[in-house]
Amino acid sequence: MPAQQSADIVVIGAGIVGALAARRLAQQGASVLMLEAGPRLESARIVAAFRNSPLKGNWMAPYPPSPWAPHPIYVPRDNGYLKQAGPYPYPAEYIRAVGGTTWHWAAQAWRLVPNDVRIKSLYGVGVDWPLSYEELDPWYQEAEEILGVAGADNTGSPRQHPFPMAPVAEPWSMRRVRERLAPTYAVVANTVARNSRSYGGRPACVGNNSCQPICPVNAQYLGINAVEAAEAAGAKVVPNAVVYRIEHDAKGRIAAVRYYAPDKSEHRVTGTTFILAANGIESPKLLLLSASSKYPNGLANSSGAVGRHLMDHPSTSLTFYADEELWLGRGPQSPSSINTLRDGAFRAQHAPYRLDFTNISQVLNVTNDLIKEGVYGAEFEKQLRWRAARQINVKNVLEVLPNPDNRITLSTEKDAMGIPKPEAHYAIDDYTRRAAEVSKADFARIAALMGGTGLRYSAEGQFANNQHITGTLSMGSDPASSVVDAFGRTHDHENLFVCGTGVMPTAATMNSTLTAVALALRTAEHILPAKQAAAADGREAGRA
Amino acid sequence: MALDESDSVAADRTDDPADASRRRLLAGLLTAYTASLIPWALAQPAPHAERGAFTALSAILVGRQALDGAQATRLYDALAAGNARFPAEVQALLSLIGERHIDPRQLQGVLDGEHSPLAPLPRQIMSAWFLGVVGGGGDARCVAYETALNAVVVADVLKPPTYAYGAYGSWSAKPNA
Ligand SMILES: Cc1cc2nc3c(=O)[nH]c(=O)nc-3n(C[C@H](O)[C@H](O)[C@H](O)COP(=O)(O)OP(=O)(O)OC[C@H]3O[C@@H](n4cnc5c(N)ncnc54)[C@H](O)[C@@H]3O)c2cc1C
Ligand code: SF4
Repeated sequence: MPAQQSADIVVIGAGIVGALAARRLAQQGASVLMLEAGPRLESARIVAAFRNSPLKGNWMAPYPPSPWAPHPIYVPRDNGYLKQAGPYPYPAEYIRAVGGTTWHWAAQAWRLVPNDVRIKSLYGVGVDWPLSYEELDPWYQEAEEILGVAGADNTGSPRQHPFPMAPVAEPWSMRRVRERLAPTYAVVANTVARNSRSYGGRPACVGNNSCQPICPVNAQYLGINAVEAAEAAGAKVVPNAVVYRIEHDAKGRIAAVRYYAPDKSEHRVTGTTFILAANGIESPKLLLLSASSKYPNGLANSSGAVGRHLMDHPSTSLTFYADEELWLGRGPQSPSSINTLRDGAFRAQHAPYRLDFTNISQVLNVTNDLIKEGVYGAEFEKQLRWRAARQINVKNVLEVLPNPDNRITLSTEKDAMGIPKPEAHYAIDDYTRRAAEVSKADFARIAALMGGTGLRYSAEGQFANNQHITGTLSMGSDPASSVVDAFGRTHDHENLFVCGTGVMPTAATMNSTLTAVALALRTAEHILPAKQAAAADGREAGRA
Repeated sequence: MALDESDSVAADRTDDPADASRRRLLAGLLTAYTASLIPWALAQPAPHAERGAFTALSAILVGRQALDGAQATRLYDALAAGNARFPAEVQALLSLIGERHIDPRQLQGVLDGEHSPLAPLPRQIMSAWFLGVVGGGGDARCVAYETALNAVVVADVLKPPTYAYGAYGSWSAKPNA
């Protein structure tokens, strides 16, 4: 007989999204239990693991998977956890640990643009969201105040109230890019969950330039901060609790979830309301795994949409040498973008995109290139300095449309706990490829304006992935074509909610976490409305 | 780029007589040609011939005017631990460069063109010095980070990632201004 635990609210997954829903519900007085598959991590150990890693360019290296809660690893070789059914590879990255994947995010915390949620009505592509940008606005604000978001008003996303913080100080490299691309392109500061002053008990950024894979000083908000805030509000976290089944009663209400501890002992947790927040791949996997005689296609799947409409943000890029010294690597990694191509009538023909400039130090890449080229003698150091000072990279962040054939399914292969592995079916369609083609002209113009030489476009037909897993648990008004409603409640199970990037029915062009957090806060409010005074307190608490 | 005397073994002053022979050792390993590539290295002490050859070959490949002695030992030990033939290969490549007067700029092309078994060696040594990484694939090991030469040679402008650049906003100023 498995050990029993119980709570008002049971949250599956202690990542940034689940934890912030948990925090808000705990603040309203609910008993909240978070079940987290992975272990607790310690920031100082991650920093040490990075410094000792021979794979400095691979941000997963400091996060080895636990045997009981594996996550995908590709370098130095694929650990075979996320199976690839093709035709195009979908090498998703995420971290299964307390705090989740944002341990190594870049903290870009963007809002959508208003038209992103109406692309079917406006441009005849994709689907409309079951809510408007205006309805999202206050939830964005609440999310931004909790995370501590720094930004400027010139990014194309309207707002009612000011950002909590001024934009992060612009690195010299990006100032030069901004000055030289004007007026052809408007280069703006990224909206980021990175402190431009001390905020929320965390310090201002000091420019370690290792935001990915780890911010050593916690100047950027991390999922672990959300988990700690949830715990401070009274939520309990059970680490190393791998949920493998969600159980329902005869009426279709969720009754309990079952998890394995690392020794494979079985535990059962009952509750009143359940929130599935295990990310865009593990959450649909769990619903599919929980099939029963009453729900043979999996839970919440009467539409057949669970796991389908998988989207992300593919990127192509251009790397070149500017004609002046920029020295990328001073300050944070992700400072600036061009946002003017996020929306327009062209969306009827091809994907919109954001153009993203990296400020990641080029020293590692340049060293690798020179070693590969077999450069020896005094020339090596000379070249290293010349290239590291001038090398610059711009990439597009392309929208992908929802397509039911792109999806997560259960593999026939199982992990060490005997749980089926996830399998990705993915393709990049012409809508997205056309935009990649169009953006090449932008790349060329940008290089010309920067006096670029040594232009290296990413290989034809090759897209890098941005790890913004969306669509697999899409929200919509129609239960026949979507998994959850506008509040994140599953159409099929009254007391089962889903929080995470997976509920986004379209991917738009912006990193998706802030939108997922905003939607999760809205879900929490729907489950247990905040008393007016308590809501105001919550906002104050988020402020420094 | 200014040289930091303190990270060079040449700055290591001692009057121990054994030291004099350790210093002569390296000179004996070089031909007139290789000595001309790295004149400063003639005065470098080396505990034994293998390690001396490694210092000399490293100096030729890396192309700097000084190499840190402790780092050389650490890298040599790590490279030799991973490959029993490493000491012999180093001596063979040093002799080859000396006898045939191979310009470092032509070296990889020459080795590749002749399908030399020594062809992978220069990259292994460069990776150790510049990346602090020894070995490849799943066997790769990190033996240096802040002291890897790719951090050292840009230290006037950049900090290695995870080390604070400076006070908030200091990165807005022009580098080296
Ligand atoms: C390198 C990188 C950079 C990124 N940069 C950005 C960025 O700049 N901006 C942005 O918006 N997004 C970024 N992202 C994406 C961002 O990390 C995710 O959108 C975000 O983490 C989603 O939060 P989540 O809480 O839904 O999922 P996660 O953070 O993945 O957390 C889910 C949690 O659920 C747990 N879980 C999974 N399965 C189970 C189970 N069976 N039982 C119990 N628990 C389970 C996991 O262990 C995990 O802790 C980046 C991602 C990567 C990989
Ligand atoms: S630049 Fe450094 S301090 Fe700033 S957010 Fe990134 S890692 Fe943290």
